Amino acid sequence: MLKNAAIATSVFMVTTTIAHAEDPYRIGITQNNVGVDSYQTTYESAFEQAADELDNVEVVVLDAGGDVARQIGQVRNLIQQRVDAIIIWPTNGQAVIPVIRQAHNAGIPVVVTNSKIAEAGLEYIAAFSGPDNVQQGASSAEMMCDALDGEGQIVQIAGQPGYTTAMERSQGFEERLAEACPGVELVETQPADWNREKAQRVMENFLTKYDDIDGVYAGDDNMGVGALNAAKSADRAEEIVFIGATNFAVGYEAIERGEYYGSIYQSPVDDAEAALQTALDVLSGEEVPKMNFFETPKITADNLAEFEKPVF
Amino acid sequence: MASIEQGKQAIMLSKKHKAGLLNFLSAQGILVFFLICMFAFSLFSEQFLSQSNIMTVVRQASIIGIIAVGVTVVIIGGNLDLSVGSMLSFSTVLVVDLHDKIGPAGAIILMFVLTLIIGAVNGFLIGFMRLNSLIVTLAMLSAIQGLVLIYSGGKNVDIANQSDTWFAFFGRGYVLGIAVPVILFAILAIIVQVVMSHTSYGRRIFAVGGNPAAAVYSGIRKNWCVFSTYLISAFCVSCAALVLGSRVMGSQNNVGQGYELLVLAGIILGGTSLLGGAGSIWKTIIGVLILGFIQNGLLLLGYPYYTQWLVTWVIIILAVWLDLANKRKRLFTTHS
Amino acid sequence: MINMNDFLKGSGFIQPIWIFVIVITVFFSFMSEYFLSVGNLSNILVQTSTIGLIALGMTYVMINGNIDLSVGAVLGLAASLSVGLQDYGITIAVIAALASGLVLGAINGLIVWKTGVNAFIVTLGAMIGVRGLIFVYTEEQSFYATNFAFSDFGTASIGPFPVLAIIFLICTLVMHLVLKKTGHGRNTFAVGGNPEAALDAGIRIGRHMMINFIIVGFFAALAGVLLATQMGAATPNLGRDYELWTITAVVLGGTKLTGGYGSITGTLGGVLAIGILRNGMNLMQVPAFYVLVILGVILISVLIIDQRLNVHASKGVSI
Repeated sequence: MLKNAAIATSVFMVTTTIAHAEDPYRIGITQNNVGVDSYQTTYESAFEQAADELDNVEVVVLDAGGDVARQIGQVRNLIQQRVDAIIIWPTNGQAVIPVIRQAHNAGIPVVVTNSKIAEAGLEYIAAFSGPDNVQQGASSAEMMCDALDGEGQIVQIAGQPGYTTAMERSQGFEERLAEACPGVELVETQPADWNREKAQRVMENFLTKYDDIDGVYAGDDNMGVGALNAAKSADRAEEIVFIGATNFAVGYEAIERGEYYGSIYQSPVDDAEAALQTALDVLSGEEVPKMNFFETPKITADNLAEFEKPVF
Repeated sequence: MASIEQGKQAIMLSKKHKAGLLNFLSAQGILVFFLICMFAFSLFSEQFLSQSNIMTVVRQASIIGIIAVGVTVVIIGGNLDLSVGSMLSFSTVLVVDLHDKIGPAGAIILMFVLTLIIGAVNGFLIGFMRLNSLIVTLAMLSAIQGLVLIYSGGKNVDIANQSDTWFAFFGRGYVLGIAVPVILFAILAIIVQVVMSHTSYGRRIFAVGGNPAAAVYSGIRKNWCVFSTYLISAFCVSCAALVLGSRVMGSQNNVGQGYELLVLAGIILGGTSLLGGAGSIWKTIIGVLILGFIQNGLLLLGYPYYTQWLVTWVIIILAVWLDLANKRKRLFTTHS
Repeated sequence: MINMNDFLKGSGFIQPIWIFVIVITVFFSFMSEYFLSVGNLSNILVQTSTIGLIALGMTYVMINGNIDLSVGAVLGLAASLSVGLQDYGITIAVIAALASGLVLGAINGLIVWKTGVNAFIVTLGAMIGVRGLIFVYTEEQSFYATNFAFSDFGTASIGPFPVLAIIFLICTLVMHLVLKKTGHGRNTFAVGGNPEAALDAGIRIGRHMMINFIIVGFFAALAGVLLATQMGAATPNLGRDYELWTITAVVLGGTKLTGGYGSITGTLGGVLAIGILRNGMNLMQVPAFYVLVILGVILISVLIIDQRLNVHASKGVSI
């Protein structure tokens, strides 16, 4: 109630941009690529549900289908429609900056969600809301270190090349590993584009190429489980430690069975709700910090019971 | 112009001297090339020719290979099928999703039926409505991808209990030490090759692809022939989905994205002409295996994955060119 | 009835695709209040300009009886070069980017001409290989133009007209005139319609083919540079699937894959049809999953209608 009242007052305060004070906020969101994996799909439905529950919000939900150019077109369309705020899940951390600047110049606040944009664009956004992917990579490195007792030979299966989340997780992982665990050697990194089948093929090639693999770090559990599949087929799963990020249901179950060491718990529902809330806070004129990270804790067999199984 | 003519004469002359070798090279060129590649890679990587590596590559190539068998038949019949990538996503998502809902047997049957219906739509539009196959299957590529996403709601599908379902046999099983996907690929290839080269049905497909008008005059029901090639293609995609779904025990909605290109590249590399009326399953198998071994070899040597694309570019064109040059007994065309 | 048929076939004054464009424009203007605003219409023009520019060149290649599947990759390479080389100055970067399109077009054309290998195969190879070149050059990284002047060009307008839309419309006009009024245009039709007859008539069919591949390479590169100015950046995956949408647009516009028939005005209609459908469905908030199905169904429907109107033209199915 209190919140609604606060928002209502703030609506009166910003009547310059909104024709009728009693109109709900119109917030446009353009997502990266819904349907390519369950995380993004769950995010979308959580976002729509969260918006439905609020009376004062109307959302325009768009999907860029992974295509940068299409996403830029969608942001332009949203500017054209004079929405009150734009939430963008960048398809690429650099290519969207000019159009974000355009929205900024048109007086429309932009909230970046889930995946960061490059440094140069930060001055044009109202806020970022999402997980801290560098930190996630670092946490995974620490888990790897614990699991291997500081010694061994590992491989990395990374997400889509050129995608900020993939790069930040790799960067966080590699930096922290070198620092915390000089005895663990990362012998090769190959991308598998967030795709389980591709990860399985990449891992099969690793297994033929290296007789000795002690650990695998995958950019998300979907790929991690693909790697696990490959190792199981080759009867080498026992000797290998698997660590992922963005805990998927399949990864959760694998941890339960003891086949998978650990992952990073990241809820798309938290992600979506945080993005919407950040946008609303910005619109109601609150002081919003530039970087809003939501909690993404480590998850291993030890603390598995504290977390609900992911729905995706 | 004169210099071009002289160049041509020079080529003809040099050809006479080496006619025997050239003939052999161009007739079996792709096979020779394959062997040279294998040899070169084995010099630099000791794992390359190891039994486990060869088995891995052949197993990985078998999904593309199974699809390529079907698409080869479509191409021999004078058409194209670009929808196989989306169709593979469709069939894989379907069989994995239905596995836990109605059991593996029901899931497999329903998946085959629905995929064949999609194949029948392709076949109807191209065989009976006589629409251009490139555009129809391009449109189907988009439409089927949409259907997959609508069906799954955009979520990944998984098989919950992976350890004790007999569905695991198709992608993970072994018979006499040979991976089941490889066996499936081999069986399908042999059956289709026999049908294409030793039955009247096969001869009719060649006739329809080679000279449609003459085929119709000789009483062949062209529409039905074209229609049937798309059913074969859909059947092969279903088999590939069986392997893929069982191998991964789960599926993303875009799992088949891009397969249509890999399949086409393999077929072309093998030497099947896109004009229809010619080609063979054997050639396709060789083409698919070459792509698989080159990809694997470059990765083993430590080159980044994208270098294989550059190599593919060069060898696809070279393979087709040498084949053509052999047929016309000339390296270059004569028109200006 | 014959008159009606002629009218629909476009031998009157209006092509069927333009009837379709008018119908969907009316439809969407009733469905969304934003659709007919000046801003939205110029958005549509800017967004279609990318596929549109490539489609101009593709129309020539297809009338000529060939096809070019490598345009998406050429676009991606040109975009990366135009941003990645900006340390040497924007002008040099842009020139290098456009030159890459000309060179790759020339390579494709020369191979098709001299080896006689089917254009589908040659450009399928190039589509895979040029993407490899992009990854070798960029090492998988995205490039970002630190100079905002570059991206400001992509968003600039003259009066209410965005610069990119103006460039696209001027190119369309020029290509229309070249096709209609020049010897090269006439020969392009002749070669595509009946290569043997064209050869007998002394037309240098190889040269015309190569010129058309250079044209489409240039336009793909130009589209890449302009797209990069819109984004102020380039990504290595830029342009994936663009060849499919370009071919779709050109075919919607009535150009025959078998060669010998087609027009720039039709292509413009085809490009606009796809752009309007996408934009309108966005405004109506049609879920993205359904958009894919709807686009596929519409394309097949248009093919069927087109074929019913041109029964005699349905003889060839091969590529």
